[in-house]
Amino acid sequence: MTRKRFVTLTLIPAIGLLATLALVSIAGAIWFSVMNRTLRSADYEFVGLHNFLRLLRDRRFFNALENSIIWEAITVIGTLTLAVLLAVLIFETVKKPLWRNLICFAFLVPVLLPRVAAAFIWRFLYSPSLGVINYLCGLVGIGPVEFLANPSLALISVAVVDIWQWGLFFTVILLKLLETLPREPIEAAKLDSARTWEIHAYVTLPMLKGPLISLTLVKAVESLRSFDLIFVMTGGGPGTATETLDLYAYQMGINMGGRISYASAMSVLLLIVTTMAFVIIWKAGKKWTN
Amino acid sequence: MQVKTFLLGTVFCTLAVQAHAQDEMACKGQVSSLNVIGQGMPAVTELSNRLSEFNAKWDTEVRITLLGENERRARARLDASTGAGSYHVMYVDEANLAEYVSAGWVYPLADVVPESYDLADFRTDLRNVATIDGTQYFAPFVGGGDVMMYRKDLLEEAGLEVPRTLDDMVAAIKLLDAADNRAHGWAARGQRGSGMNVWRWTPFFRALGGEWIDDGMPAFNSPAGVAATELYKDLMAYAPPGIATFNWSDSVEAFRSGQVAILIESDVFGPWMEDVAKSSVVGKVGYAPPPDPLPSAGWAHGWAVSTVGAAEGCIQVVAGDFVGWATSKEMEQQRLEAGIASDIGRVSTLQSDAFKALVPQEYIDALLETGPKTDLLIMASPVWPEIGDTLGLALEEIFAGTRTDVQAVLDEAAFFAEDSLAGLK
Repeated sequence: MTRKRFVTLTLIPAIGLLATLALVSIAGAIWFSVMNRTLRSADYEFVGLHNFLRLLRDRRFFNALENSIIWEAITVIGTLTLAVLLAVLIFETVKKPLWRNLICFAFLVPVLLPRVAAAFIWRFLYSPSLGVINYLCGLVGIGPVEFLANPSLALISVAVVDIWQWGLFFTVILLKLLETLPREPIEAAKLDSARTWEIHAYVTLPMLKGPLISLTLVKAVESLRSFDLIFVMTGGGPGTATETLDLYAYQMGINMGGRISYASAMSVLLLIVTTMAFVIIWKAGKKWTN
Repeated sequence: MQVKTFLLGTVFCTLAVQAHAQDEMACKGQVSSLNVIGQGMPAVTELSNRLSEFNAKWDTEVRITLLGENERRARARLDASTGAGSYHVMYVDEANLAEYVSAGWVYPLADVVPESYDLADFRTDLRNVATIDGTQYFAPFVGGGDVMMYRKDLLEEAGLEVPRTLDDMVAAIKLLDAADNRAHGWAARGQRGSGMNVWRWTPFFRALGGEWIDDGMPAFNSPAGVAATELYKDLMAYAPPGIATFNWSDSVEAFRSGQVAILIESDVFGPWMEDVAKSSVVGKVGYAPPPDPLPSAGWAHGWAVSTVGAAEGCIQVVAGDFVGWATSKEMEQQRLEAGIASDIGRVSTLQSDAFKALVPQEYIDALLETGPKTDLLIMASPVWPEIGDTLGLALEEIFAGTRTDVQAVLDEAAFFAEDSLAGLK
C-alpha cells in the first residue's frame, strides 16, 4: 500500500462522518426553509421561497443582521486589540519567566469558565442596584448605569464579557509567539535606535502576520456562536437591542410559536452570507500574507 | 338476595382492586428511568430531595431536568411536537395548557393518576386553570392569584393609608418614591415574555376594559391597551434602575432587599418576604388585594403525563404515579415541615395548622379577600404563547425606550397576532 493510499484510506472515515453530519443538517435546514412547518402541528406543505421573501420584509431580521455585524466587528477587533496590547506590554515589562507564567495562568481562567457561568457572573456585576461595577461607579459619582437595560449600552456591555474571555486567552498565545521570534531582527532595530512601539509595529507584529490572521478567523467564527452569552445576559433585549441572527432564529423557531421553517430560512441565509464573508476575508488575508 | 349480591359485589370489587394493584406493581423494575422536565420552583427542588422514596417504590431512577420558564416551555414543546418523547412527565402551566391539549400532548389527569391520590382535594381555583372543557389535565402544586405587598413602615412614615384603588396606589407610589426613605416606589416585570411583562401588564389592560379578541381579530391595540401600556411605563419611572429588563425574580428580590415600597406580584411570593434567611423586610410587609379595579391574574403550575413520552403501558403507569406522588397531601405536608409555604396545591394543606404557623394571618386574609378577583386573564388559546411573546417583545421595546409610539408598536404586535390566529383556522 502506497503512503498516499494509506493517508486517503485513514482520512475517509473521519471526513465522511464530518461531511455526513454537516450535509444532513444543512439539507434539513434547506428542506424546512421551503416548507411551512411549525412545531404546533405535524402538517406542513411546500411554500417555495415564501419564507425567504418574508424575511426581506422583516424589520427584526434586518435589525438582527445589523446587530450580528456590529457584534462581529466589536468582539473581533476588541479581542485582537486587547490581546496585542497586553502581549506587548507583558513582553516588555515582565521579564521573569515565573511571573510571566503566573500571569498566563491567570489570563487562561476566564476562557476556562463555562460561557453560561461567565454570563451569570457578569450579569450580577452589571446589576444597577446590587452590582460591584455600579458600586465603583457610584464612588466616583457616576450612575447607577443600566449596562444591560440601556439599549445603547447593552450590546457593548455583553461584548466586553466576550472580549474579557477571549482577549486574555489570545494574549497568552501572542505572548508565547513573541517569545519564539528570532532575536536578531529585534536587536537590529534596537541598534537603529528604534523605539519600543516602532519595534513591535514594524518588526515583531509583521512577523506574526500569519498567526494574527488565523487568530482573527478563529475569533470571527467563535463570535458567530455567542448565542449562550447573549441569551443569558440579555435574552436579546432590551427590546431587540442585542438580538443577533442566531438568537432571532431561536426565538422564531423554538421559543416563539415554533416557526421552524421561518427559522430555517434565516439559518440558510446566515450560512450563505457568512460563507461568502469568510471566503472574501480568507482570500484577502492570504493576499496580505503573501 | 340483596345481602348475597352485596357480598358478591364487595368480593368482586376487592379482587378487582387487588388485581389492578398487582397489575400496576408488575411494572416495578420495568421502567429503568423516568424523565421529567421541570422548572426550579421550591416544590420541584424540594422534590429532588425525596426521589429515593419513589425510586425504591418502582425500582426506577427519576431524572428531573430543571430549566428557566421560557427554556422549559421551548424544550417541552420541541420534545412533544417532534415526537421525540424524551420526557415522560411534563411541567405544564396556564399559558401552554391550551396548546398542549389541542395538540394532544397530555393525558387527562384522571386517566393516568390513581384515585387514591384524592384528585378532588386540589384547590378549586388551581383546578379551574388546569381544566379545559371539564377535563383536568395537570395536577397543580403551585398557583393562585396576585397580592399587593407594601412596606408598612414606609407607608406609616409617609402618613399613607393602604391603597384601595388604582389611583390611590399610583399616588402612593409617587409619594413614596419621592420620600427620603432609600426605597423606590414601585417594581414590576419589564422583561419580554407571555409569562413575564405581559403577565403583569395584563391586569392593567383588563382593569381599563381591554379585551384580547374583538370579532375574531386581536384587540389589544385598543385605546385600553394603549392606556394600560402608558400607565405601566409611567410607573416604571418610580422603579429601580434596570426595570425595563426585570423578570419576576428581579422584582421580588428588589422588594425583599428593601429597595421597593409597593409591589404587586403573584401571591406565592408572600412567604418569601417572611424568610428570615433571605429577606431584609421580615415583619415590615403588609398584604392586601390588588387595588380596584385591578383584577388578580390566576395561574397554576403542575405535572402532567406526556402522551408522546409515556405512550407505553408501564411508563404511563409509573409516570401517572409520579404525578400523584409528587402532588400528594403527604408531599405538601413534608414541604411545610421543610419551611416551604409558597407552593400549595391542596385545600387540606391550606387548612392545616402547619400552614397557618408559617405565614402571617394578614397574608392569609389577603389571599381570601383576593380569591373572588382571581381569574385567568390571558387569552385561552393554543396560540397564546406566540401572541403573548410577540406582545412581550413589543412592550419591552416600549419600556426600554427603543420605540416610543405605543399605538404603532401595539398595532404591529396585533398584526402579527392576526397571522397566529389565522394559523388556527
